[in-house]
Amino acid sequence: MRQAFPWLLLPLVWSARNRARRRERGDGLRAALFGGLGLGAAAAIFAIVFWLSWQLLDYEELGDYLVRLGLGWLFLTFLSFVAFSALVSALSTFFLSEDLRLLLAAPVPPERLFHSRFARTVGQSAWMVVAFLLPVLLALGLARCAPPGYYFVAVATVVPFVVIPSAMGAVITLGLVSVFPARRARDLLMLMGLLFAVAIVLLLRFIRPERLLDVQSLPDVTAFFATLQSPVTPFLPSFWAGESLFGALRGQVDLLHLGALWTTALALTVLVRAAYGRHYFAAWSKAQEARKARFTRLTLLEPLVRRMPFSPARRALLVKDVKVFLRDTTQWSQLLLLLALALVYVYNFRVLDLDRIPYMSRVIKNAYAFVNLGMAAFVTAAVAVRFVFPAVSSEGPAFWVVRTAPVRMSSFLWSKLWTGLLPIFVLAELITVTSNHLLGVPLVLKLLGASAIAFMTLALVGLACGMGAQHPRFGAENVTQVAGSYGGVAFMVLAVLYILATVALLAWPASQYLWHEFRSLPIAPHRQAWMALSLAVALSLSLATFWLSMRTGIRALEDLG
Amino acid sequence: MILVLNLAKTFGSFRAVDGVSLDVAPGEIHGFLGPNGAGKTTTIRMIAGLLKPTAGRVSIDGHDLAREPEAAKRALGFIPDRPYLYEKLTAAEFLRFHGGLYGMEGEAAEARAGELLELFELVGWKDELVESFSHGMKQRLVMCAAFLHRPRAVLVDEPMVGLDPRGARLIKEIFRVMSRRGVAILMSTHTLEVAEEMCDRISIILGGRIIARGTVPELHALAGTDDPQLTPVFLKLTGGGAYQEIEL
Repeated sequence: MRQAFPWLLLPLVWSARNRARRRERGDGLRAALFGGLGLGAAAAIFAIVFWLSWQLLDYEELGDYLVRLGLGWLFLTFLSFVAFSALVSALSTFFLSEDLRLLLAAPVPPERLFHSRFARTVGQSAWMVVAFLLPVLLALGLARCAPPGYYFVAVATVVPFVVIPSAMGAVITLGLVSVFPARRARDLLMLMGLLFAVAIVLLLRFIRPERLLDVQSLPDVTAFFATLQSPVTPFLPSFWAGESLFGALRGQVDLLHLGALWTTALALTVLVRAAYGRHYFAAWSKAQEARKARFTRLTLLEPLVRRMPFSPARRALLVKDVKVFLRDTTQWSQLLLLLALALVYVYNFRVLDLDRIPYMSRVIKNAYAFVNLGMAAFVTAAVAVRFVFPAVSSEGPAFWVVRTAPVRMSSFLWSKLWTGLLPIFVLAELITVTSNHLLGVPLVLKLLGASAIAFMTLALVGLACGMGAQHPRFGAENVTQVAGSYGGVAFMVLAVLYILATVALLAWPASQYLWHEFRSLPIAPHRQAWMALSLAVALSLSLATFWLSMRTGIRALEDLG
Repeated sequence: MILVLNLAKTFGSFRAVDGVSLDVAPGEIHGFLGPNGAGKTTTIRMIAGLLKPTAGRVSIDGHDLAREPEAAKRALGFIPDRPYLYEKLTAAEFLRFHGGLYGMEGEAAEARAGELLELFELVGWKDELVESFSHGMKQRLVMCAAFLHRPRAVLVDEPMVGLDPRGARLIKEIFRVMSRRGVAILMSTHTLEVAEEMCDRISIILGGRIIARGTVPELHALAGTDDPQLTPVFLKLTGGGAYQEIEL
């Protein structure tokens, strides 16, 4: 093979081109939604950074110090993000890709294969960071009226900056695969990544950044910055990137730090290439070994399910679903993130200080009870799109087993529904009841909240289950792809509309009741009738959403093929 | 036992299967041959209940697949060409799951699963995850599942793919035993030697239509060839006799 290594990237480009040409149902909606969200997020980031940088101009030395510190922290965060992302990407690009067998059997020089795979690893692990940095660095440059050279330096800084952690990630992956089987290593990495995300979420929440807005805690602010300064060390590429950009903002070219970035990036690429040249084939061969995997036996599950009053088919489906879920690291590990988010959710209500405005406290608390209901329902919808919506798709190409068996598609879908409904119901009730308790809302709102979230969970889980059956993606590589598909997005849009309608239908009669109770006034009979009607419509809406979704889902499964 | 009447399937404007009729009697091994893209797998998938026919009807053991799908499927064992399975279940768990779908539970089901695992030489792997199985092992596990509920009719799409000679001999022997016990077997295959060796009757499909049907001697007579092999008959009937000289 004489062509240079980018030739090996052509299948990727051609596949993307063919995918873009072949329009599928919902592509327009998805593109508009995700494109709009992406542009909106970029515009928001740009606006925030521009405003902050503009404000900091007034503080001269302190402003400069904060910009430098901010850049240092930004690049430090991205350094670890890209390194971790590269660990996972390298595992896929160098060891698990299906096309590797073809390429390794072809007369492709190892260094060309390395360069093409390394370029893919860098691209896959860094695109998100680059997309985030673009509005940040642009806003910074414009706010501080940076010279044109700043933008060139920005590109010259970001390129080697993303190569360094990618190279480190790639070499760690090589080491990991040399010790563990590739799929085991992937599970380990997924779990580590998730624990890392959970730790970040909890840490960010529990340091209570809202205290910075409180004037009384000014001494804490000094300590806060001292803490922030500690991990920014001059030995890390994140520091070099920050310094290089800070220099460019002031019209200087910081050759020392820019040089450090480029030499380190090039040296690491050469070193990683040498390591791959020496150990890659052995590690790849090892990754191909079919080993007897270690897994959770879950021996108690079957005797437990056997006691349940279900048909043998329903029992078989339940046992299968639970086992498959708990043995798939990519699936069960998401529960950890869910747990962390639930903790943060409840914690937010614990630290909420509504008594700061005593004369408004009661009204705000009552209003918050409905905000809480809406948010809890939104969390339920988010959990449902992640765990229930992909339930049918998760059968994957093995769905023929169920479809050729004497099992009604209704039994199959109902089984999927109950498997998802029970844990989500417990979670939704737990966060609603606990947060309402922490808010200290009246008993009537506590009861209304607990009952409403029960019906809303039923409707949302039913909607997710039914729509998941109407828009299955049996060929998806993982459940995240299914949740982000056209059907998943459509589910979220419908779920939000349903939540808004239901909360409005519940909030009006409840507010009427509380207002009359507060004023010790009787409620007129015609108003009582309207209130009852409003509650009845909310209830009917939930039941209809649930029932119609399940029915259309079952029909879609019956008409499959 | 397997009755197919005027079955048709259209994908957009393309008619993949065009009025196929088949009848497989109890104890008969019926070969279903045809070149690539002739409509074999589409027909098999419609009989298995995986594809909804555009027209026509399928009946298994006297049960109409459209009106009584559960009863029809209960009588059928299906072996697809590609053994996609639940990778995170062990072989024993997969068979337990499969048995459950057919209403089989308890010791009798366990004993039957053990018997089949023994027969297909998977006992040593019964407590290992399917994800660590080779293609051939997965294929053998699919066969265990297909025979688990003692079906009255078996539908096989390319039975020999991925099997080693020992596995292939085993499956041929099993089909013969099942046929002697009255099980109807409809087998789609590209391996003409297998069809010639095992099938009582053969149907040849081309362009979605059955173009020839009969016993091996009847097909020879139909094609008007003296060659004792089935390959020239197949090539003549399907119009694939002419071939270019390939430069290697």
